[in-house]
Amino acid sequence: MGMVAELERRQSAMELHIINSIQQSLDNNQPLSFQALASLRSLIINPATPDSTLSSVLDALSRSLQLNRDPVFLHHALKLLRDLASHRPHLSPFALDLLRSDSLFSSASPRLVGESLSVLLSLASIGNDIDAARFVSLCLGPSVSVRQCLLRNAEKLVFRESVLLAVFLGFTRDPYPYVRKEALDGLVKLCKNGDFDDRDVIEGCYCRAVELLRDAENYVRSAAVRAVCEWGRLLVICSEDMNKQDSSDAVFIQLGCMVRDMSVDVRLEAFEALGKIGLVSEGILLQTLSKKVLGINKDKAFKPVEGLDISASAVAGAYIHGLEDEFSEVRMSACYSLRTLTVFSLRFACEALNLMMDMLNDDSTVVRLQALDTIHHMATSNHLKVEKIHIHRFLSALVDSSSVIRSMTRKILKLAKLPQFKLFKLCIDGLLGNLEIYPQDEADVFSALFHIGRNHGKFTVHIIEEVSPEMEPASGGKLSFDSTRVAAFLVLAISAPLSHEKDVSAIPPRIFSYAVTWLGRISYGLSDLMNQEKLLAYLSECSRSSTISLADFKINEALLTVESDAPIPLCSKVDSPVSMPFWKDSGGTSDYHHQEFLSLGKSAAHAEYELGEHSELRKYVNLIFKKVKDFWSLVELGCTTEAFKGIRACKEEVASFTADSPGSSGAVAFTLQYLQVIGMLAKVWGHLRPTKMLNPYGVGKLELLFAKLDRRLREISNRFIGLSKGEELQILDLVLVACLLRLSKMEICCCNAAMKLLLSTVAHVEYLHKEGSIELSNFVTEVKKSLHDADSSSSSSTCKPLLFKKLLDSFSLQQFVLYGTPRYIHAELAVPSNDSENPLPFIPGIPASIPLAITLHNVLTESRLWVRISMNEESTQFVFLDLNLIRNEKRSINVVREFTFVAPFYRTPKAISFTVRASLGLECFRENIDRVKVFGGPKCELTYLCPEKEIFLCKSTEC
Amino acid sequence: MAIDCLVLGAGQEVGKSCMVVSINGKRIMFDCGMHMGYTDSRRYPDFSLISKTGDFDNALTCVIVTHFHLDHIGALPYFTEVCGYKGPIYMTYPTKALAPLMLEDYRKNMDRRGEDEQFTSDHIAECMKKVIPVNLKQTVQVDKDLQIRAYYAGHVIGAAMFYAKVGDAAMVYTGDYNMTPDRHLGAAQIDRLQLDLLITESTYATTIRDSRYGREREFLKAVHNCVAAGGKVLIPTFALGRAQELCILLEDYWERMNLKVPIYFSAGLTIQANMYYKMLINWTSQKIKETYATHNAFDFKNVRNFDRSLINAPGPCVLFATPGMIVGGFSLEVFMQWAPSENNLVTLPGYCVAGTIGHKLMSGKPAKIDLDKDTQINVRCQIHQLSFSPHTDAKGIMDLVKFLSPKHAILVHGEKPKMATLKERIQSELGIQCYCPANNETVTIPSTHYVKADASGTFIRSCLNPNFKFSTCSSTDKSYLDSNKSKAVSRLSVSDDRATEGILVVEKGKKAKVIHQDEFLHRLGEKKHEIQFAYCFPMHMARTEDLSSTSHMLCSFDKCTLISRLSMILSDELSEGNILDLGEELQVESFRVSVCSSDNCPHRLSSSLQNGSESVFFCCHWSVADEKLAWKIISIMKNSTL
Repeated sequence: MGMVAELERRQSAMELHIINSIQQSLDNNQPLSFQALASLRSLIINPATPDSTLSSVLDALSRSLQLNRDPVFLHHALKLLRDLASHRPHLSPFALDLLRSDSLFSSASPRLVGESLSVLLSLASIGNDIDAARFVSLCLGPSVSVRQCLLRNAEKLVFRESVLLAVFLGFTRDPYPYVRKEALDGLVKLCKNGDFDDRDVIEGCYCRAVELLRDAENYVRSAAVRAVCEWGRLLVICSEDMNKQDSSDAVFIQLGCMVRDMSVDVRLEAFEALGKIGLVSEGILLQTLSKKVLGINKDKAFKPVEGLDISASAVAGAYIHGLEDEFSEVRMSACYSLRTLTVFSLRFACEALNLMMDMLNDDSTVVRLQALDTIHHMATSNHLKVEKIHIHRFLSALVDSSSVIRSMTRKILKLAKLPQFKLFKLCIDGLLGNLEIYPQDEADVFSALFHIGRNHGKFTVHIIEEVSPEMEPASGGKLSFDSTRVAAFLVLAISAPLSHEKDVSAIPPRIFSYAVTWLGRISYGLSDLMNQEKLLAYLSECSRSSTISLADFKINEALLTVESDAPIPLCSKVDSPVSMPFWKDSGGTSDYHHQEFLSLGKSAAHAEYELGEHSELRKYVNLIFKKVKDFWSLVELGCTTEAFKGIRACKEEVASFTADSPGSSGAVAFTLQYLQVIGMLAKVWGHLRPTKMLNPYGVGKLELLFAKLDRRLREISNRFIGLSKGEELQILDLVLVACLLRLSKMEICCCNAAMKLLLSTVAHVEYLHKEGSIELSNFVTEVKKSLHDADSSSSSSTCKPLLFKKLLDSFSLQQFVLYGTPRYIHAELAVPSNDSENPLPFIPGIPASIPLAITLHNVLTESRLWVRISMNEESTQFVFLDLNLIRNEKRSINVVREFTFVAPFYRTPKAISFTVRASLGLECFRENIDRVKVFGGPKCELTYLCPEKEIFLCKSTEC
Repeated sequence: MAIDCLVLGAGQEVGKSCMVVSINGKRIMFDCGMHMGYTDSRRYPDFSLISKTGDFDNALTCVIVTHFHLDHIGALPYFTEVCGYKGPIYMTYPTKALAPLMLEDYRKNMDRRGEDEQFTSDHIAECMKKVIPVNLKQTVQVDKDLQIRAYYAGHVIGAAMFYAKVGDAAMVYTGDYNMTPDRHLGAAQIDRLQLDLLITESTYATTIRDSRYGREREFLKAVHNCVAAGGKVLIPTFALGRAQELCILLEDYWERMNLKVPIYFSAGLTIQANMYYKMLINWTSQKIKETYATHNAFDFKNVRNFDRSLINAPGPCVLFATPGMIVGGFSLEVFMQWAPSENNLVTLPGYCVAGTIGHKLMSGKPAKIDLDKDTQINVRCQIHQLSFSPHTDAKGIMDLVKFLSPKHAILVHGEKPKMATLKERIQSELGIQCYCPANNETVTIPSTHYVKADASGTFIRSCLNPNFKFSTCSSTDKSYLDSNKSKAVSRLSVSDDRATEGILVVEKGKKAKVIHQDEFLHRLGEKKHEIQFAYCFPMHMARTEDLSSTSHMLCSFDKCTLISRLSMILSDELSEGNILDLGEELQVESFRVSVCSSDNCPHRLSSSLQNGSESVFFCCHWSVADEKLAWKIISIMKNSTL
């Protein structure tokens, strides 16, 4: 102990000595020696130095800064300040103040300014910014490196958009190319985050970016491409409805000029940008696939901005060039951007398909895979028309040496709808060839055969008739079913009864019995559709039935249990080869780089890969979410109909998922729900946002839409448990948008309620934000900020539709990424043996008892459940369901509970018979009911867990 | 200063490329090719035009050869060894490596045809000793003033475009190039340079080719169908280039489709060429370069050597045999054996010289071919014509010219009528002056001339600091497509005038100097004068009670009211400019207007008031820069009533 005390004493004596000597030299107006600085540093980095000493160190430093302007000294002082700020966070404000002081920033040495800037940036949190005037004056200084550094970090330093815009736009004229690049990048960021509606500004920025497309430096040109894309999109949004198409075309052509650039980076950017321009007219799109200038485009010139005339011929053959580019990343990017454009025109899709088929011959596996992915995308958006010339090339991919390619090809085949028997036969032959060369593909080939057979009932029957001799047991009664080929035909045959075509003639029942001998292998292949038991049941059912009974109701019923039936031939297998990790492929070591390089997957997809446990379903679902994000950008552009089409297709696709594995049902239900919410949101958005368009819907209709939207939102935020905070935040984003949409429309707004919800949601967001330390989206930050501003400016929360409208501009849909497996809260409600023939008895005026058989899924014990029984709108009654009191009849914790609950119905009318409607509702804690309270009912809004059940009651005859 | 281009070959024709360019006192010969169509003196460029005396060493600074094709290099040994040029010769490493092979091959064939020998084996070796090899993008200082640099050109392995710069004049000679990649070579690649002149080939001046995938697909389909049916495929090719491209294509397809059919190379040049290719990986396409670490694309897995005993071996196979066009040699030998079976396939290159068997096959499939008096071949096999070409198409030429945007362009290496069409397009669409000279003609184009000047300290300091201005007023802007139409545009634009603030001063006997405009007046000892316009005129006024009848009685309050009314009128009618209300005065840019209270205002043209009580005089001042704006405002004021 004595030693320690002694040491401490000695140390403090030393500290005192150092400080004193420094003070002394300062008092004599002597600058600090380097030795003194070194001893100061030792004090600073010693964690035992007390704060009091450090503040005198700070004092000394600030005094010496005033004394000495020698750059070398300043450089050391700067380092000391940085150390101080990083070692002692609570002293950092003082250190930062010193850093910002004139002595460093007004120094003549640009190196010092640059250093102090980088120290500031590394330490300062947002808000500790240097003010705009200082920022501008530093920018205008002669040092180029400081200028570049300032521009790169401008967003962090200054908040005012007008200042940033002026600075960025101005520096696009700088003679130093790196400054120009930073300025352009700044403009891009500004355009993404900012809110501009001044057409002059937009045009100015756009034109400047277009000028820089001809810059001498590659990196400036690629930055310019990004800027043209972003500001061009803004230009499209702000142009009048009549000119929207033209200006969109013009921006597309402008970008198309860059695909022949000599720099790979510029070409990559150009193709990425082309894919982002949503609305492009067919003529222009077709021109990109032809190097010769098409007739319709011969003299077509566009003038998006006065003085920027551009002719359609400039875009000639853009995709031809892109697809035969030397660099595989450019080819991939071209394939990918084609994918988004094929949605708009069937003709374009057909021509693009031609090229895609050629791409199947590419020497890079990744490019081939991307091409197949694009084809698959066309198939899901119903823009795939396979012709005979294509089919050969396409089927050759079935014997490709890469298993990913083969599996992707089969995936597309599963979706195909072929018009002719010939083509069908070719496909079957292709699959058989695949099976022959690569026996390891058996399971998936079977699955493909099954799907394809089911999509083409008549052709299947036809082909089975042709090959049936092959399938018969060889003479002598010995079964020779050991050929895989026969098995393949059997799989094809058994798919026929499931065909959606009406008049499919029969497959001989004995075929089904043959198939039973292959049960194991077949059921392995069809595991995505049905399990072995169901398959066996199905096969035996079919083999027993005579020809007529095949089309019988009973069969169909059996099938319905077999799978959730897809109404269109759009049934995809859950595992998607799209998301198969590319780098597992042996040949593509370099391609892996490209994959990363090309930001196709973006961050979400990567996060998805990094996840330890790969759930196939989740991957697929996340792909859907990615699509949804694409669709939303269409909504923003005003193409609501197209977006709907896409969302609907997604819904159908999701609906066709089977939810066999535990937990998957939650994900599927969640995705469906999410799609529905987005759909509703898009509908409302489409009617509210473009103010120039006349509202086709009246206020009443809109009110209905809002009600629906609210219900959907309530469901998605309350009926799922097990969502992460990040996921929850994303949903809250949507709730906020809905609130804002409502608030931005004066006519339908019940201001108080919406405002209340908005505030409570924001509060919840903040809570989650603090809890989970998750970064908030830009949009939420905006909302918070403006709410805060509104609060401070006027205490009364008045309606400011304009403000809310402005806020909505900052909204952009983020891609939802599902990490966990959400559980879906739902319930089943039944009244045993009750229908209109067998009503429950009651005595008028006396409460009637209604026995309800209730099954709850995933309902937590602490949640508040209500049984809602209503006869008509006026007489609705709520009965509380206390889960703690309910004896769990079937023991399974928290997941499924089944029990009977006798609910009383009090207000029985004086009538002979009546019906009531019952349903189960879950109380949502965040939404208070604002209307007149129902006596004894729930305090908050309910989310209903099951469809309403109609219950029949009849006056008891016994009394 | 001017650049003189003397065309010695490939002017309005294809063959014997040779161009002598005089640029700022330096003379460079680009390419030194021979014409394959002639056997007389027309075969070589007319070197006497360079120097009457034959003293080529002093007449030329250097010779640059773009690639190893004979129409670009064929006359080189003749020029150096027979004509006696001893100066430096530049070419890329692969060209230097492969050129002797080509020249030797040609010489042997010449021997065989019994022509008189133009140069010997020793000549070739001696000539190659004079060659200085260069790398891509390596800047070579030929002498004090002349810099040259090679850029990748595609076309064949080692082909390059050459950039040459003397002082301030710069130019690019493309040689042959390809703007789209093929299976083994990349696309041409060049920086965006400031050029006075671009000399480009124009083999396909009007053709627009579609995607190469189509061509590849057709070829693979034909070959695959043939071998699948058990047939034999004969691919007569030239040893370098096409053979490797097709072989990579087949190899890749074989790999992908798991085909086991053997591919053979006939011995000879091709094997040797493959060896060179394996070493010159750096000059191939991106894909091959990338995979090189794991697998050399020219290490053909499925390829074996062929020997004669295999000609009639059973089973399918693919055979690459030299020479192309089936002029003789091994390809003819095999053709004679395989042609009679309809299972077999012969692929022909895109172009066959008239008189060869290839040409006969191409022009309608004959049933029988008479080889000579005694031999007759039955042709029953299938014929597939390849349409691969290593030259860029018209769109590629346009793309390159557009990308480089030189001040002038010269077209060579093409057919005259097609070149004329392309020339028109370049001039009308890109606004670039273009020429297509014939052989032995000289084109003179002006080049950029720079003056060296000192700069004053103030000017340099003002240049260091950014000095950008925003304006929304009218400015002229050239459209992106150079449509030659300048238009008045009104929009937000930004300009940085640091350089234009300088003034070039040339004093007698002193070096030219750039000084800042502020210094200029000081130096001259003069004051700055500005031209101001002034105009005083009456404006109609609506009769109102509170305004007094005569103008001189207007008190300052009324003046303010009038001005603010005027401001309202102007802001309604005027689209541009910023209207500032300064109380008794109104300002739009430099235009100022105020109520004139003096009866004898010197700016008044007519002092009589028509309806005295209803008008009031306004006095305007503006500077010359805003004249248009001023008259616009005045006309608005005259046409409206206060």
